[in-house]
Amino acid sequence: MTDTLLSAASPGSRNREQVRKGLRRRHRSEVLFRWAGILSIVAALGFVAILFGMILSKGMPSFWQSTLHLEAYFDPELIEGGPQPQREDSNSDADYQRAYSNWQRAVTLSNWNTVVETAIRAQVPEFEIETGDLLDLVTTAARFQLRDQYFANPDVLGQTMPVSILGSANTDNWLKGTIDRSQPDARQQLAPETRQLADQFLEQGIIRFDFAGHIFTNVDSRSAPASAGLAGAFMGSLYMMMVVIVLAVPIGVASAVYLEEFAPKNRWTDLIEVNINNLAAVPSIVFGLLGAAVFINYFGLPRSAPIVGGLVLTLMTLPTIIIATRSSLRAVPPSLRQAALGLGASRNQTVFHHVLPMTFPGILTATIIGVAQALGETAPLLLIGMSAFIANIPSSPMDSATALPVQIYLWQGNENRNFFEARTSAAIIVLLGLMLMLNAIAIFLRSRLEKRA
Amino acid sequence: MDMIAGKIKLTSKTVDQSMNPLDVLERETRLSARDVTVHYGDKQALFGISIDIPDRAVTSFIGPSGCGKSTFLRCINRMNDTIEGARVGGSIKLDGDDVYDPNLDVVELRARVGMVFQKPNPFPKSIYENVAYGPKIHGLARSRTDLDEIVVSSLRKAGLFEEVKDRLNEPGTSLSGGQQQRLCIARAIAVGPQVILMDEPCSALDPIATAIIEELIDELRENYTIVIVTHSMQQAARVSQKTAFFHLGKLIEEGVTEDIFTNPEHKQTQDYIMGRIG
Ligand SMILES: Nc1ncnc2c1ncn2[C@@H]1O[C@H](COP(=O)(O)OP(=O)(O)O)[C@@H](O)[C@H]1O
Ligand SMILES: [Mg+2]
Repeated sequence: MTDTLLSAASPGSRNREQVRKGLRRRHRSEVLFRWAGILSIVAALGFVAILFGMILSKGMPSFWQSTLHLEAYFDPELIEGGPQPQREDSNSDADYQRAYSNWQRAVTLSNWNTVVETAIRAQVPEFEIETGDLLDLVTTAARFQLRDQYFANPDVLGQTMPVSILGSANTDNWLKGTIDRSQPDARQQLAPETRQLADQFLEQGIIRFDFAGHIFTNVDSRSAPASAGLAGAFMGSLYMMMVVIVLAVPIGVASAVYLEEFAPKNRWTDLIEVNINNLAAVPSIVFGLLGAAVFINYFGLPRSAPIVGGLVLTLMTLPTIIIATRSSLRAVPPSLRQAALGLGASRNQTVFHHVLPMTFPGILTATIIGVAQALGETAPLLLIGMSAFIANIPSSPMDSATALPVQIYLWQGNENRNFFEARTSAAIIVLLGLMLMLNAIAIFLRSRLEKRA
Repeated sequence: MDMIAGKIKLTSKTVDQSMNPLDVLERETRLSARDVTVHYGDKQALFGISIDIPDRAVTSFIGPSGCGKSTFLRCINRMNDTIEGARVGGSIKLDGDDVYDPNLDVVELRARVGMVFQKPNPFPKSIYENVAYGPKIHGLARSRTDLDEIVVSSLRKAGLFEEVKDRLNEPGTSLSGGQQQRLCIARAIAVGPQVILMDEPCSALDPIATAIIEELIDELRENYTIVIVTHSMQQAARVSQKTAFFHLGKLIEEGVTEDIFTNPEHKQTQDYIMGRIG
């Protein structure tokens, strides 16, 4: 070796030659790798952009829905029961209650459809159209809407009031063109007169596309798809997330702290560790089966209830939280533990006064990401009956409910495809918005906490 | 600039030992170790260490890297307990109490034997909280004023108070390396220990910060038993009255610092001091 170096005419220049030859190859591979990286990022972002673009362009229009702006006459001939009974000194409590409930029943049973019909006909007195076809113009919930408005303010009896009534899903389809307008009459959902009236109303400005706030405040509806909303599913999801946070965070953090800081390192803890990692890889539908078998059949918890959904999602979120908490515990420098132990702090004090506070941002991020994952989970919820049609907003985690992703799944399968295709995308937008919000909170809190530390 | 020069001058004063070298032999023994062995799993790190450590003096452990100085130091306050797989044999007595007595609470032991580490490791809390933490967990302060007093006097003893008195609420990590190390010393002092163990306390510091710490160690000697591990022979010579030389897990030689450096008995000690091993 030394011999060859010494015998070479000029060892330095030969070495440089050698390095230069290699350099070209090294630069080439570097450039290649950089381009490959840029390309894959562009591809990934491209797919995401296409996905979001499609969902947004499909879903956004359904946040604005055809609405009829009419003048409704609260006709005393049609609305039965007369004026609301007033409380007077002369009649007793029981009398008043009886009178009131009689009045309520009479109002409820009144022919509200005719009130709606009269209000529409008032706009076009000359137009010839059958009652059924005319009412197809508005949502079937229109009569309940007017009735509820009347209950809220019974003084309007005998007066004419401006009201805005949602158009039916089919009207909306026709006006937005989500149904093929060139199809023959036989294949249209609405009678020719109804379609003509819809077009005429739109032109006159009687039908306008108003912001559909009811998507956020109404529950799902089969009979009146136009007024179906997400409120029930949202509350169901909210209750489940509450269950997940209340259960998964303390259990997950406690397990992680025990395993990382206190448990002896032996075959048992190795086994537990492997199993936790496996748990993170179990398909979610299996958790659903488990939930149905254990929580519903064995413990007798109510079917379709957010409490059961929350428990199942807790099982799914636990490994995420445990793994993330352990890795942030491991990232705490040993010198911190030494400092505390060296001062005579017990192991408990070391962990709770010094180690755990440092991992707080990590645990928080893991929790929010785990909760966001759980929020989007669908399959296990189908298995515990949360895909049932529920027409009420759940008032507790024990009530029947559905969840946002399940609602998306249900709407996706609705028979009125033309209307619900856009509606499904709208629900996806709401769900994605919630997730983005959760992630933004995670990032914000993380940077705040890390700055403070 | 003047201040720094002053500090260095002050330090050079401490170099000429103010304590009569023979005095150290007359000091009472505070710690005595007999036949201490340590295993890390199957690997033996210490082979029968026996040494007496005098009260109110500085004892330094020197020796090449990996010879077991830190391991022995950790035996004294049982920090080895926290290392998975570490086993300690033999006996160590602190004022006659067996440190490894199963009835002795390790929390109490560590309140009597404080420790300062190689890299300054203040808690990510305020300067005040750093010093107050020990007294708080040991219940040493009866009131807020008590605690304030302990914090101030500990910072004073560690020679840090004047530099930080206006920013006690700022994080301890905002201080310079040397100040952080003095904060760690103040933190240890605040618990009121008899013994302070220091594991290469200056190895992460610049020369000026080192000089200040050395000066501080010399002051603390009057009230505490100090054991310091150092890889710098000059430092051992400057601050300690007694020196022990370790090699490959064995205690080769111990004695009055001056004797060890001027007149070592063993060839290995001589080789190390002459820079032939290490
Ligand atoms: N935590 C540990 N686990 C296993 N072996 C260790 C550990 N700490 C130290 N050792 C070993 O013990 C021997 C002594 O180490 P140490 O006491 O740190 O030496 P020194 O402080 O003198 O440099 C070394 O061989 C080292 O590899
Ligand atoms: Mg060491």
